Amino acid sequence: MAQTTTAGSNRPAQPTKARPQAPRRIKESFGERLFSAANYVFFVLLGAATLFPFLNVIAKSFSGEAAVVSGIVTVYPIDFQIGTYKLVLGNSQFINSFKVTILVTVVGTLSSLLLTVLSAYPLSKPDLFARKSLLLLFVFTMLFNGGIIPTYLLMQNLGLVNTFYSLFITGLISVFNMLIVKNYFESLPESLEESAKLDGASNLRVLFSIVLPLSLPVLATIGLFYAVTLWNGYFNGMIYITDPELKPLQLYLKELVASTNDVMKMSGMIDVNSDLNQTPEAVQAASIVTATVPILCVYPFLQKYFVKGVLVGSVKG
Amino acid sequence: MKHDNAAGAVARTAAPGAKAGGSSALKKIRRDYDLYLMLVPGIIFLLVFKYTPMYGLIIAFQDFSIFRGISGSEWVGLKHFEKLVHNDQFLQVLTNTVLISLYKLIFLFPAPIVLAILMNELRVMVFKRTVQSIVYLPHFISWVIVGGLFVNILSVNGGIVNTILGKFGIGPIPFFLDQGIFRSLIVFTEGWKEIGWGTIVYLAAITSIDPQLYEAARMDGANRFRQMLHVTLPGMASTIVLMLILRLGHMLEAGTEQILVLYNPVVYNVADVIGTYVYRIGLGASDYSFSTAVGLFESVVGFALVVSGNAFCKKFLGRSIW
Repeated sequence: MAQTTTAGSNRPAQPTKARPQAPRRIKESFGERLFSAANYVFFVLLGAATLFPFLNVIAKSFSGEAAVVSGIVTVYPIDFQIGTYKLVLGNSQFINSFKVTILVTVVGTLSSLLLTVLSAYPLSKPDLFARKSLLLLFVFTMLFNGGIIPTYLLMQNLGLVNTFYSLFITGLISVFNMLIVKNYFESLPESLEESAKLDGASNLRVLFSIVLPLSLPVLATIGLFYAVTLWNGYFNGMIYITDPELKPLQLYLKELVASTNDVMKMSGMIDVNSDLNQTPEAVQAASIVTATVPILCVYPFLQKYFVKGVLVGSVKG
Repeated sequence: MKHDNAAGAVARTAAPGAKAGGSSALKKIRRDYDLYLMLVPGIIFLLVFKYTPMYGLIIAFQDFSIFRGISGSEWVGLKHFEKLVHNDQFLQVLTNTVLISLYKLIFLFPAPIVLAILMNELRVMVFKRTVQSIVYLPHFISWVIVGGLFVNILSVNGGIVNTILGKFGIGPIPFFLDQGIFRSLIVFTEGWKEIGWGTIVYLAAITSIDPQLYEAARMDGANRFRQMLHVTLPGMASTIVLMLILRLGHMLEAGTEQILVLYNPVVYNVADVIGTYVYRIGLGASDYSFSTAVGLFESVVGFALVVSGNAFCKKFLGRSIW
């Protein structure tokens, strides 16, 4: 943060080099090259600062407990061992929570995608009667909401507390994502749908066999957004779930992190399960790494899509 | 939008049952019945899970009893709101919320804008893409994990930062327990997680600037810095305003999920924000009506901020969300 602002103000007042897109006509002056070099150095440092916490925790997860506690582990393991991973993967609560989270992510993402697309498509039709009012019905929920307690009471009345559904049902449609999809649909050429209509295809048919295949980039983008939100969520679990069988991964990790936190160590307060209290730092590190791996696996594949998807959504929106 | 509209209307006239020109509402609905059917699940979802809780807000005006329900509970008017303004704890929470939000706004709102402009100056494409991949990454990591990472680094028990400080004879500093440091920690971790991702919208805005504008500016003798000042920044302006309004609406949220992960009873004093307070009082202490009143306060202020921010921008800057 501090680095950002400093680099911003350190920017030379006379950078005159050409835009990246345009051909450079004039040889760069000393000041320009200095700025350019400083800019590259700055981004190397920023990248390093971003990656360091990850590298540190990975190194710790492979290091011996003694090395971890003495604080000498930086970005490479000391006293290399993989015993902590055996402990983590052998922990039934960890495995169980992992399964719950995978299931929530898959089921939640698919239902969210379906509902979002079904809502976005009609709203992308410019001459749909009452389109504006319907859109307002959606958008208003972005601006105003009932808050935690009324939502909790509703879930209780519906009998959804302590059920699998409570982990994703309140977030089934993100209006923000719906608007991105709607904008994308509006950008598709009308003529494609027209010809299918003339052949007698229904709107549903047009949506599924013509529009959706053309919309893969945006579907991948919001699919990723939904999946990440579900994978990362702990709040719903914290509010609605008491049954350990249904405890999502992030909630389990939250309690694990809290149990190794300085506060708990120093003051002995907070009611964390006793088995968690014994958790050594390296095991905590290994749990964090294991829970992050799935995101790191899908991230590179989907990155090109979300960059494109956000572009479409923001330029039009 | 406008030409889409015309094209749509032309396309529709070809569909069976539709007449040229504006036909009656009923005919339109009949023609598009399947489109309306598609909307049904989404609207049911909204009505049940978004609008019903809004109705539930009326328990803020009752002494809500879980056994008697909303219809059976006793009405008490503004009692809980009066309690709110006379409650020292709430005033502390409100101060924390506003301060943390303000710090985040001042330190973290301009950063992605500067970063996007600097990123745009990177000409080695491989380097630029690599940097982008890296700085976007933390956005996709949960607050729980981010909390874990920083607890790891900042711990007095084997944290690398305290080891290094120790070499200089400082500390150990229990970062998460220090009331003077905690808010900075909140701002810093939020920055670490979201600054990179924040650039994506601005980079998209820069991409959509007409290259001819740069061409023209160069013809007029504008150097790189002037181009940035007079072309790039104005080109980003509407996006900046939009992001600012959206951000204003979340002023009273101040990062509830983040703080729930990072804080602890020792720093409640400086770190408890409205969201965490509602959670603690409402679900922890089961004071449903009072915490709903607190939540309603948050929603109403947030709504007012977005609406007035939008109106302000429309009037004075000619730009708005709607």
